[in-house]
Amino acid sequence: MSKIEEIKGKIKALNAEYAKIKTIAPEERKAFGIELNKKREALQKELQEALDAEESGSVTPIDITAPAAENAQIPEIKKGSKHPLMTELERVLDIYSHMGFNIMEAQQLDDEFHMFESLNFPEGHPARDGYDTFRTAEGYIPPAHTSTMQHRALKRYKKDLENGGKIAVVIPGRVFRNEDVDATHEHTFYQCEGIFVSEGTTFGQMLGVLKNFFETYYGQNLNIKTQPGYFPFTEPSIELLIEKPKSLGGKGDGWLEMLGCGMIHPNVLKMAGIDPTKYKGFAWGGGIDRLVMLKYGLTDVRYFESGKLDFLKEF
Amino acid sequence: MRISLNEIKKLVPAASKVETDELIKLIGSRLVEVEEKIDLSKKYDKSYIVKVISAEAIPETHLHLCQIETKDGPVQVVCGAPNVRAGMFAVWLAPGAIVPQTFGEENFKLDVRKLRGYESNGMLAGLDELDLGDDHSGIVEIDPHQKYADGSREIKSGDSFAEVFGLNDIILDIENKSLTHRPDTFGLIGFAREVAGILGVKFENNFSLDEKIATGSGINIKIEDSALCPRYSCAMIEMKDALTDDKYLTFMDIFLAKAGMKGISKIVDATNYLMLMTGQPLHAFDYDKFVSVGGNSKPEIVVRAAKDGEELQLLDNKVIKCNTSDVLITSNNIPVALAGAMGGKNTEIDASTSRVILESATFSLYNLRKTQMAHGIFSEAITRFTKGQPAAQTLPVLNMAIKMLGGNVIEIADKYPEPVKPSVVDVSVLAINSLLGTEYDLPTIKATLENVGFEVEVARDNNPAINLRVTAPLWRTDIHIKEDVIEEVGRLLGYDNISIDYPERPFIGAKEDALLELKSKLRNILSDKLDAHELLTYSFVSKKLQEDVGEDPRDSYEIVNSISPELQCFRQSITPSLLEKMRDNLKAGYQNFALYEINQVTKKSYKLDEDKVPMLYTHLAFVTTGDFYEMKANLIALLNELGFKDLEFHQYDGHFPYMEPVRSATTQTPHVCCGEIKSSVLKRFKINQPISAFEISLDNLIKELPEAAAKMPALSRFPSVERDITLKVATDTAFAKIEAAIAKSFVVYGNDNSLIGELIINIKPVSIYKAEENAATKNVSFHLDFASKKKTLENTEISAIMEEVEKNVKQAVGAEIV
Repeated sequence: MSKIEEIKGKIKALNAEYAKIKTIAPEERKAFGIELNKKREALQKELQEALDAEESGSVTPIDITAPAAENAQIPEIKKGSKHPLMTELERVLDIYSHMGFNIMEAQQLDDEFHMFESLNFPEGHPARDGYDTFRTAEGYIPPAHTSTMQHRALKRYKKDLENGGKIAVVIPGRVFRNEDVDATHEHTFYQCEGIFVSEGTTFGQMLGVLKNFFETYYGQNLNIKTQPGYFPFTEPSIELLIEKPKSLGGKGDGWLEMLGCGMIHPNVLKMAGIDPTKYKGFAWGGGIDRLVMLKYGLTDVRYFESGKLDFLKEF
Repeated sequence: MRISLNEIKKLVPAASKVETDELIKLIGSRLVEVEEKIDLSKKYDKSYIVKVISAEAIPETHLHLCQIETKDGPVQVVCGAPNVRAGMFAVWLAPGAIVPQTFGEENFKLDVRKLRGYESNGMLAGLDELDLGDDHSGIVEIDPHQKYADGSREIKSGDSFAEVFGLNDIILDIENKSLTHRPDTFGLIGFAREVAGILGVKFENNFSLDEKIATGSGINIKIEDSALCPRYSCAMIEMKDALTDDKYLTFMDIFLAKAGMKGISKIVDATNYLMLMTGQPLHAFDYDKFVSVGGNSKPEIVVRAAKDGEELQLLDNKVIKCNTSDVLITSNNIPVALAGAMGGKNTEIDASTSRVILESATFSLYNLRKTQMAHGIFSEAITRFTKGQPAAQTLPVLNMAIKMLGGNVIEIADKYPEPVKPSVVDVSVLAINSLLGTEYDLPTIKATLENVGFEVEVARDNNPAINLRVTAPLWRTDIHIKEDVIEEVGRLLGYDNISIDYPERPFIGAKEDALLELKSKLRNILSDKLDAHELLTYSFVSKKLQEDVGEDPRDSYEIVNSISPELQCFRQSITPSLLEKMRDNLKAGYQNFALYEINQVTKKSYKLDEDKVPMLYTHLAFVTTGDFYEMKANLIALLNELGFKDLEFHQYDGHFPYMEPVRSATTQTPHVCCGEIKSSVLKRFKINQPISAFEISLDNLIKELPEAAAKMPALSRFPSVERDITLKVATDTAFAKIEAAIAKSFVVYGNDNSLIGELIINIKPVSIYKAEENAATKNVSFHLDFASKKKTLENTEISAIMEEVEKNVKQAVGAEIV
């Protein structure tokens, strides 16, 4: 007799037991019923297992740890990849966009006026040295920061301001510094600039917007702190630091320097034709490369422009 | 810049009451980033001042066996210094001490060890080992009557070296860059004033800009252009001991060492000390040499711009050729110093010097910045000058120097053609609070500014909008507008104390940027659907690369100060950069893959934009292994995803010089150039397999993008008919013509009023077969799939359609059904 039939027999016999329930004292009936149900459930489970085993017995088992069956071609999944810098930039822009910022892209060749003059750098000022700019024979400058675009953005959206609205723009872009490349320095990298101008803009609002950006970006509440800074195009100027987020292994002790920011200098507004006695604004700029490096624990910035699939296919 | 906290505490008593870490945190958040905190007490741990009891020469060596007096009794040390002798006081680094010179680097720890058979406990240290100077000629000698730094008492043998000399100190390494606009903070006094301000106390110091100093006319000073040199002050002092240096280690040596400088001689130390205290650099000339260079009987100082090519030998013996941006100090027009940078050899102070001219001046920071760059001089002095030291303090600092040096002053002279007036700025409590988003009251604001030397005049009215007239102290060259004052208030009271807020805005969605949206869409299609890899490559390429692909480097904007020839030309297209990466990845073992990049390109022949800046175009370049058809399939898939249908491939228009014209094509809507890379180009890249590419201008693509109307795919509820046909045609018959002929056959039935009704057709190419290379004909097979929207097609109807197909292909391209 097969095992399956044996179990089936037992179930049949058990079913017959139910009839005895009438002969039992009413107060014991409940316990008796529970006992029978338990037994039947156990038998049914045993039956199912026996049925499964019988089915598997007729099928060839496989080596589940192998990539393919014997004599079969190993399946190859072709998968593209997106550059992590561009992916991160999209995410950053997405958050600012949700906050109500328009987006305007920076250009990769610009001039002295947008790089320095329009940003209140006096001619020949030592502060210009800090930027190690490249130059073309014609005197054009591959921008050393996305702030180059501030003047254009202010002019482009000035109408919104005059119509009682605000200027709220973020400007991503590729920037260039004349410096030697090593694990932590690249001559080519990405930044994101932002400007906000309205009648009642305050320093406190700048802290709020930027804090909120990082909180959204890292998905947690974060403490921020500031460090005085110096940029000719903002006054006051600060460096903004955030508490090292949990996702980056932060335990509430370390700080990360994330960006430079400040209240837009009246001269910068004036040069774009905006009345600084009526309107005030703040501006900031920070690197994208660093966000990505922190996120993935990258220690060598050179991977980004290397074009190596060994690196890129992981993203 | 290095700042000693002990010095700060001397200048600001209130700083001593604040925990060190809290103080550093406050400096970091309200003045400047502190890059590093160096704890000297650890550096000089286990170092003691000891008396050498005996020093006996060890025969046949240069060593001495010494007994020294420590707190725990006599200890034996072997010492190799020639100046060790019984009775002297020296610095002993006990076993367990780290040699200060190696502190923080290799951390060399001293021990008890045997030298030539003699036990030696630690070492007696030289100036270099103590990291207080470069001198290695002997061990440091301490004055037996040396007093403690706090002046409390004289030393005794065994005392802690660090305690006596005030080395239980914290040194802050300051990030200079963000103080570019604050020349005053490049002196300890100025830095300390800020610390006082941060702590909310008024800064009190003896150094005053108001002291009356008598000047004479014995020295002629002529400033040719006061823009180059706003003020020149100097003093003639009798001084025979200018170059003497103390035999013993002094507090001055320690003070200078903490700032990263060294004790050199009486006069150099004094000028360096004052520079570190006030930020004002000083320079000393030999008076007699100065006069003799000029050929006069008394000094004729002329400050002027250098002439092009004018030569001057500097103190470091280098002869420099000046340019017109350099400022020269001259003696009766003969150059004696490169202003702000370095003195000349011809007026150097030497052992025979008996009189000096001490210079305290200020120069145009713009000119000095050019001097710094042109001659590569990066001294502590020029670093300060290029921040624009205030003219107001040249004479007062000179006066301090005179007092310090103690020589007989013969003459003080001062030329100050246009005295700087203090900057006066009008601001209000309301203006301050409305920019910062704070609620600071008048007394708080007033005290904050006054603590650091501002004068605040308040209108009598208590209205917060009422004016505050703020007068900046003369050392604050950075205060010009009300925002500068607002920054002071915000910063000194702490930006971190400003409560965060959010701007109000209407609930209007941000405008989407069409180009960014397109880029995002392209990336999704290319990476997620077409399995391509996104790359970023440099915007600058080499001339060689451009020449290799047939682009004209002369049409590229060229970087004149590029890092290397590899990064010289702004690229005209992206495909060449991707070809390089194609080669690298093929070499790395990758086989079938595609790369793409979206980035900006331009060339000189394009026009300038409205700002007169080169117009930049965003391109998408896609490069794949495989032939034209491999690339074409990807291009069609991509464009279909974007909503472009029925693409027509026309003869290549030759836009990119690296595409092979007979194996490349151009599409019209949108305009795309695509094709195989020329084999000559591939050869230069050492790639020996077909590579194909397309490159699209997104600025054009965006204009041609179809309206994104989502269309329901054409479906029929009646069964579809499937037929396979193979057509034999002449080899040179264009595929598009055959396909068009088939499609046309269905049009005959393709209208709603016909008996059959509108047909939904799908013509799928199956194969293109040629029996041999030179065959005159080829067989093209299609799988046809069609259905009527109106009814189930009957056999007779299907036959009629297929006959129509047969007729049409015969007529159009002479095809025979196989």
